[in-house]
Amino acid sequence: MRFLMTALADDAKPDEKLFTEMAKFIDEMTAAGILLATGGLEPGGVRLTSAGDEITVTDGPFAEAREAVAGFALIEVRSREEAIELGRRFRAIVGDGVSVIQQVYGPQG
Amino acid sequence: MTAVRRTVDAVWKLESARIIAGLTRLVRDVGLAEEFAQDALVAALEQWPSAGVPDNPGAWLMTIAKRRAIDHIRRSQLLDRKREELARDLDEQPDREPDDVLRLMFVSCHPVLPTAARVALTLRLIGGLTAAEIGRAFLTTEARITQRIAAAKQTLAEQRVPFELPAGPELAARLSSVLEVIYLVFNEGYAASAGADLIRADLCLEALRLGRQLAELAPDEPEVHGLVALMEIQASRSAARTGPSGEPVQLHEQNRARWDQLLIRRGFTAMLRARDLGRPPGPYVLQAAIAVCHAQARTAAETDWTQIAALYGALARQLPTPVVQLNRAVAVGLAAGPQAGLDLVDSLLSDPVLQNYHLLPGVRGDLLAKLDRPAEARREFERAAELAANSAERDFLRRRAAQLPAEPIGRTLGQVAGEFLRRDDLDAQTLRSYAQTLKRLRLTLGENLPLAEVTPDRIAQTFATAWGSAAARTWNRHRSAVRSFGAFADLPDLAGTLDRRTEPSTTRPTVDLAELWARDLPLRERVLWRLLADSAAGPGSVLGLNVEDLDLAERRAWTGTTWITWRSETAPLLTELVAGRERGPVFLADRRRGPGRPPMAADVCPHTGRTRLSYERAEYLFKQATGHTLSALRPR
Repeated sequence: MRFLMTALADDAKPDEKLFTEMAKFIDEMTAAGILLATGGLEPGGVRLTSAGDEITVTDGPFAEAREAVAGFALIEVRSREEAIELGRRFRAIVGDGVSVIQQVYGPQG
Repeated sequence: MTAVRRTVDAVWKLESARIIAGLTRLVRDVGLAEEFAQDALVAALEQWPSAGVPDNPGAWLMTIAKRRAIDHIRRSQLLDRKREELARDLDEQPDREPDDVLRLMFVSCHPVLPTAARVALTLRLIGGLTAAEIGRAFLTTEARITQRIAAAKQTLAEQRVPFELPAGPELAARLSSVLEVIYLVFNEGYAASAGADLIRADLCLEALRLGRQLAELAPDEPEVHGLVALMEIQASRSAARTGPSGEPVQLHEQNRARWDQLLIRRGFTAMLRARDLGRPPGPYVLQAAIAVCHAQARTAAETDWTQIAALYGALARQLPTPVVQLNRAVAVGLAAGPQAGLDLVDSLLSDPVLQNYHLLPGVRGDLLAKLDRPAEARREFERAAELAANSAERDFLRRRAAQLPAEPIGRTLGQVAGEFLRRDDLDAQTLRSYAQTLKRLRLTLGENLPLAEVTPDRIAQTFATAWGSAAARTWNRHRSAVRSFGAFADLPDLAGTLDRRTEPSTTRPTVDLAELWARDLPLRERVLWRLLADSAAGPGSVLGLNVEDLDLAERRAWTGTTWITWRSETAPLLTELVAGRERGPVFLADRRRGPGRPPMAADVCPHTGRTRLSYERAEYLFKQATGHTLSALRPR
């Protein structure tokens, strides 16, 4: 099964040590055949709102910046527990903050 | 399972390969290593529920397991100094070395083990699956898997399989064993993924993970990347390959929007890694290249069949299995036209491996339909449906047959074979034997082949494929069945090109004829038995004789299919038995028939009203007299 792990934005500035540890973690997850895709997201972005026939396009940044997703990892694991365990390892590296793990339903079912 | 247990299980599955591999390097015995690792797992199950999962659970487990290994050495029978030295040495060894897991894969897939053991051991040691999980995935019991794994560990210890990376010429063979195990696990899951059994379908993920891991550990081996590419692309189609009610959907009819583009990309990437190594492609790279061709086509019509046919040509040179050849014929049919495909398929018709493979007539039917030969195509689809084991496929093939126009073809092989087997003048055993022969002919040539197209050549080809390597006796039995069928169907030369084979001396029981004739026998029995002993005719034909068939002067009789002859000593006895009768059965039952089902007119003697002597009664009488069956009278 697949899970999307997202990390919410925080104020902390990443340092050199974090980059090294993250790179190592990503390498390991890739080598284990778990990590399918990962990436960081620009702050803000573009927001599209539809109401009735009307679609409104708004450029960021937005007020509720702390709810925004800053990065994601798409992982393929055997169980929800496995996804949670990997999430724990990720949080241990990045420090204080919030991540969300959601199962992905898609072509693979 | 409680939540903590599930967490421990998840951690274990993530870490066990590295832990067991590291321990195997330290203690040089897979069995021991797994035991220590299991001890650590038990400790985790005891401590984590209260203390919580440690920050680095892999290192925690390894520390415990290593301590157990050191305790084990300290308790061993070695001299004190030696023991201390070993224990200290082990303690100083690193927990991990980069090649540990790769070495463990080579051990668990070692050719000294039977394939089933390699699969179980690999899923256990590298995948971290329990025996119960492996048993469920392979539709067998936990006990059997436990046993299989224990036996495998013992074999590895007895054969002193080293924990080393194979090198030189050995590497290729050992690597191909690892790839074979992974692809086997994948196919087991892929075959099951159409069904409801998710545990089995999860094997695809296990195989993918094993493959991806192997690709990182052995990045210089193009076949590893080839296998990964092949699995990624095949897995990308798993949602599209079954319809709403679980029926299989063929590649060219799949909704390509349901293909998983992420896995396709991963497949392409793996393929590029294989290609970048710049070595001649092996079987996995070639199969992956074929999968890439399909994945690149946005619609089925855009498929580059010329490229695929060329790839299958290269694959068939390395892996000349009948199934690869058949796939190649399909590709050639689409690349160079149906006639070219049909020529290739026809060259496979004599392969015994394929004689019950439903896809062979399925593919032939498809090509014949494209060549505007609907009657033959229909027959091939019908034949394929007969051979298909899976009901969804059978229905599909029947539908394809039904879409083609039926033609007036006169009498068919199936019809005439049915009539032939409904004859009432043959004994049950002969009929059973004939039915066997005809079943093969009907499956191979098709139930609806027009009788006129049942030619000696086709018969000869069927014989070569089905019974070419059978015992002479089997061959001859089928041959005589075909001769008999040919005579019945008015196709006299049917077995014309089949030579009778020399049989090794048989152990058929013999009857002492001199002793038999010396007995005081009833006239009817004496004549019947002499006729059987004089001619090679079967009891059915002789009992079927009518007075009007007899040519007493020439000592012969026409049975409708063959002549029966007899010796001069038999002639006066036969004349005596006929005793002036002009028509009706030669051999009559003792009594008139009672009320009940009226016999056929041809089986009643117009002179006496008695009916024809039945086969069963004739056998019974001979058995009473000699203890044998009538076949013992047949001259050799």
